[in-house]
Amino acid sequence: MTKSSPDYQANQSLYARLFEPQVIGKMPVGTQILVYSALVIWTLFVLFPIYWVLITSFKDIADVNGGPYFLPWIDFTPSLHAWKELFVVDYEDTLTAYMNSIIIALASTLLCSMIGSMAAYALARIEYKPKFGTIALFVVSMILASIAVGSYGIDWKIAVAVALAIFALMARGLSRRFTRSVGNGDILFWMISQRILPPVVVVVPIYMMFQQLHLLDTHIALILTYTVVNLPIVVWLMYDFFVSIPKDLEESAQLDGATRFTTFWEIVLPMARPGLAATTLLVMILAWNEYLLALFISTSNAQTMPILVAAMNAGERGILWWSMSVVIIVMIIPVVAMAIVLQRFISKGVLLGAVKG
Amino acid sequence: MTPQNSGAPVTRPEPDAPAGLAAPTSHRARLSEWIDRRAGTFFIMPAVVMILIFSIFPLVASLVMSVSRIRLRAGGYKVSFVGTKNFEKQLFGSEQFHFLGTFREISLLGWVVMVLAALVLVWWLYRYVRSQFWWLGFIGRLITANLAFAIVALAATTLLSGNNFGTLGTTLFYVFVGCSIQFIIGLGLALLCSQQIRGRNFFRVVFFIPLMVTPIGIGYAFRMLADTTKGPFSIVWQWVGLGDFAWSTSAWAARSFIIIGDSWQWIPFIFVILLAACENIPRDFVEAAEVDGASQRQIFLEITWPQILPVAVTVMLIRMIEAFKIVDLPNIMTSGGPGIATESMSLHSLFAWRSLDLGQSAAISYLLLFVTVVVCVSFFNIIVLQRVRQT
Amino acid sequence: MSNTKTVSTAKGLVIKDLNKSYGSVHVVKDLNLDVLPGEFLVLLGPSGCGKTTALRMVAGLEEVQSGSITLGDTDVTTMPPKYRDVAMVFQSYALYPHKTVAENIGFPLKMRGIGVTEREQAVREAAQQVHLETLLERYPRQLSGGQRQRVALARAIIRRPAVFLMDEPLSNLDAQLRGFMRAELKHMQHALGVTTLYVTHDQIEAMTLAHRVAIINDGALQQLGTPREVYNDPANLFVAGFMGSPPMNFIQGEIENSRFQGAGIDLAVTGVADNGKTTLGFRPEDAEVVDAGQGLFDAIVYAAEMTGEQTLVTIELDETYFVIKMPKDFETDIGSQVGVRFAAEHGYLFNTGSGTRLRNCAVVMV
Ligand SMILES: Nc1ncnc2c1ncn2[C@@H]1O[C@H](COP(=O)(O)OP(=O)(O)O)[C@@H](O)[C@H]1O
Ligand SMILES: [Mg+2]
Repeated sequence: MTKSSPDYQANQSLYARLFEPQVIGKMPVGTQILVYSALVIWTLFVLFPIYWVLITSFKDIADVNGGPYFLPWIDFTPSLHAWKELFVVDYEDTLTAYMNSIIIALASTLLCSMIGSMAAYALARIEYKPKFGTIALFVVSMILASIAVGSYGIDWKIAVAVALAIFALMARGLSRRFTRSVGNGDILFWMISQRILPPVVVVVPIYMMFQQLHLLDTHIALILTYTVVNLPIVVWLMYDFFVSIPKDLEESAQLDGATRFTTFWEIVLPMARPGLAATTLLVMILAWNEYLLALFISTSNAQTMPILVAAMNAGERGILWWSMSVVIIVMIIPVVAMAIVLQRFISKGVLLGAVKG
Repeated sequence: MTPQNSGAPVTRPEPDAPAGLAAPTSHRARLSEWIDRRAGTFFIMPAVVMILIFSIFPLVASLVMSVSRIRLRAGGYKVSFVGTKNFEKQLFGSEQFHFLGTFREISLLGWVVMVLAALVLVWWLYRYVRSQFWWLGFIGRLITANLAFAIVALAATTLLSGNNFGTLGTTLFYVFVGCSIQFIIGLGLALLCSQQIRGRNFFRVVFFIPLMVTPIGIGYAFRMLADTTKGPFSIVWQWVGLGDFAWSTSAWAARSFIIIGDSWQWIPFIFVILLAACENIPRDFVEAAEVDGASQRQIFLEITWPQILPVAVTVMLIRMIEAFKIVDLPNIMTSGGPGIATESMSLHSLFAWRSLDLGQSAAISYLLLFVTVVVCVSFFNIIVLQRVRQT
Repeated sequence: MSNTKTVSTAKGLVIKDLNKSYGSVHVVKDLNLDVLPGEFLVLLGPSGCGKTTALRMVAGLEEVQSGSITLGDTDVTTMPPKYRDVAMVFQSYALYPHKTVAENIGFPLKMRGIGVTEREQAVREAAQQVHLETLLERYPRQLSGGQRQRVALARAIIRRPAVFLMDEPLSNLDAQLRGFMRAELKHMQHALGVTTLYVTHDQIEAMTLAHRVAIINDGALQQLGTPREVYNDPANLFVAGFMGSPPMNFIQGEIENSRFQGAGIDLAVTGVADNGKTTLGFRPEDAEVVDAGQGLFDAIVYAAEMTGEQTLVTIELDETYFVIKMPKDFETDIGSQVGVRFAAEHGYLFNTGSGTRLRNCAVVMV
């Protein structure tokens, strides 16, 4: 069989097909051009708004109002006036908002990750069997308490305390009689489903609650609110992680004398680090950027950065685009920094398990 | 063959030998032991208590508010029970135009679509009853079917009949149209980035950025971009003869504008997760298919799509849940205008709160919650559980 | 005894009427074991017979449904694991991947609140015992299988527990390493003198390591005795068939009128006149292939395999196959008619239905 024989050539192409699959990504040139132009167009679409905000923050008022200018030093002279105004002249408001945002985002993320991971871990490992009857008892006692407060004007603290006491007593006495119970899956679903609640459903009562407690416009109010709002995400993502960690390790630790909490802290959490990093980042972004709840709960002292952004829409002076752009830019920077720091821990496809369903 | 040490006296010459833990004696040890025994409770209680206080209680309180009339009084509120009046006002009363839309006259097309939808849904229910029957499943499907019909009827009586729709329609528009666009583009980008192309990491990092920008910032940034006189595209606007075009006068332009902003932020989310799903497909599958001579299209349909489908469904569920809550973008970009054209239900509720109409505000948010739950649960049941049952 | 101070902490372990079910599956049935202080007792049984479950109940990781577990003088049946004074080596080793070898080994002491310097000292000693002193700063992922195994051992030793529990600790190693680690384990247990309960499905491991072997099948104890006892004097059909490699050969038949009769076989027996269905067993190494007509029965050579140290002859008797170990220079032709012979005391008779051994019954030599 010579190289030119038709047999050889037919075999050659067959061999080529069987044993030398096309190198993936070795697409025809036309396809390549299409793919890259699609990616580049999307890159421009993603980056252009940010670029525009960035240059607006360096524009003079006249340059903003006087029609589009695109390139610094070429069609307009960059100026630091907006930056100066925010960080030199009016630095107190800016820094307060910045500090508020940092404190609130960090604290709520920390609290949320902690509480959420603990609950997720417990649901992944410990069997819960709350009885239907006990839950019903709790609901009934709470309804009674609200009726007492609503219709008879009893102080809510007393009503709640009494209702809880009655519930505790009754539950202790009656719990053995109840038979039907809910399982871990139900609790998990209950927790995760809280994410469906639109903030507008709960924000007014939360507002009133903090008003009653004189906690409106404080850090703690926003921290607690953000913690609860983001809790379902943490529980959901971390549950999946904990389930995938081999039980052996925890049992071994238990035998070696560790308590549940030590096991969680020393063994489980460090092993769940990739998931924890991703979850933390997500929760942090959500807390950092949140606007609606902050609008309700904070007015001046606990004002966060998104509120400051909105504050640049300042009544009679119109929108201060330049200052607003500065605020938006300084809001993006820490999140990107955070993402870069945490990126090390986040392995590819970390969040995939939970989403797989 | 007896063990060498049988019967050896059990004494311990080295008292500090670290043998087993002694039963706890000190107060601290006993406390930690007590806590450890109740670890289950301590682990889950913080989350449960937080959810009860900040989620369940407000939910119930909101329900109470939605059936009340609340007036601010000096130093407090006056609450009076009004039954379903708040809801009636939204659904049938003076606010109907705002929530549902106006129903002046219904076009022939509207009637046809409604009848068709009714027939399809009845047939769907009939098929379920014939193939299997479980009363809870039937009730669930009945609710789904009713809501689906309501949505179609709403579209038929407003959109297809030339009438304006209200905040419910607008929200559904954001959810269904917005999410579909985001899914298609997100999937497309994920597929492109899962190929072995140069600069993959650069693209994936860049594409992720919008997710990190505050929605309110996005709102204002897009307002700047869309400005027809001072924005970067003003030249384009003038060139196509829309130099004096105002967003605030065209309902559909304004709605699309908001969907663009929303997509800019959320496509990254869908992209990132679908990309992970694509990369998670074992290389051998694709390579085996390539060796077998499958075309790119076949590879996608036979391998990639089935593999990423579960992830795609869940991602869309999450995205839909979040999309129902949309409020920042319409609030910032258009303030709900022109008129009520871009007002979402969340924003509607927010505006009601601003005018101190707490009862209405709560009623609207409850309606939103209801629609969200029914749509999401239907989606979950029909799509996710269907697949579970099949496999 | 090289290390008497630790020997003295060894405690006996008494397991009484232990039961466990998962749903309707009865996994451990009325298990009774009395492990002497310092003894190396092996739980041996096929996969899925409930060994791990029994071991985990001793550790306290699994709730006991009925029965009791006593360690030394204390009843530990309901005691939480950490107070039981037992250390366990898991099949997967359960090393903490984010801790170094030293931290892994020192973890039990850390949990006991022992100071850093003292802990380091103890870690070094324990590491020395398993020859790991040079690897203390590595992470588990940087170790080979055998090294990981040793870390798990060191983590168990460092506590000087009253009882070691080991769940198939060698099953993840390759054959050569397993042989070596087996010797190490045996040596270490001997040196430390710690009561050890060891679970395996590998009978060689059981034979070589154990002071006594407890053979379990379907959750129930079949026989408890020294390796020699269970090998030479199996209590029932299961034990006889499980121990030995290749396993015991069985011939199905019936005892009638003091004769064992099966397909192609007819032998006189003593002790029992009539027993209905009976199984006759003999070990490959106790029998020999002789010329046709010279043995207890005749059969046909099916195959002969030279393994180096010996020749395994497979013979066929009416569609039943037996293996017989012959010296390495034994030669025979496939298909030839041969006889099989073994000494009277090497023929075991069992009740086929219940599996119990017919102890006072034996084959009579011709
Ligand atoms: N948590 C469990 N739930 C249900 N069945 C179990 C559980 N653990 C073990 N089993 C069953 O109990 C039997 C004994 O298991 P195990 O003790 O692990 O066997 P062994 O270690 O002897 O191989 C097996 O059939 C196994 O399927
Ligand atoms: Mg096992």
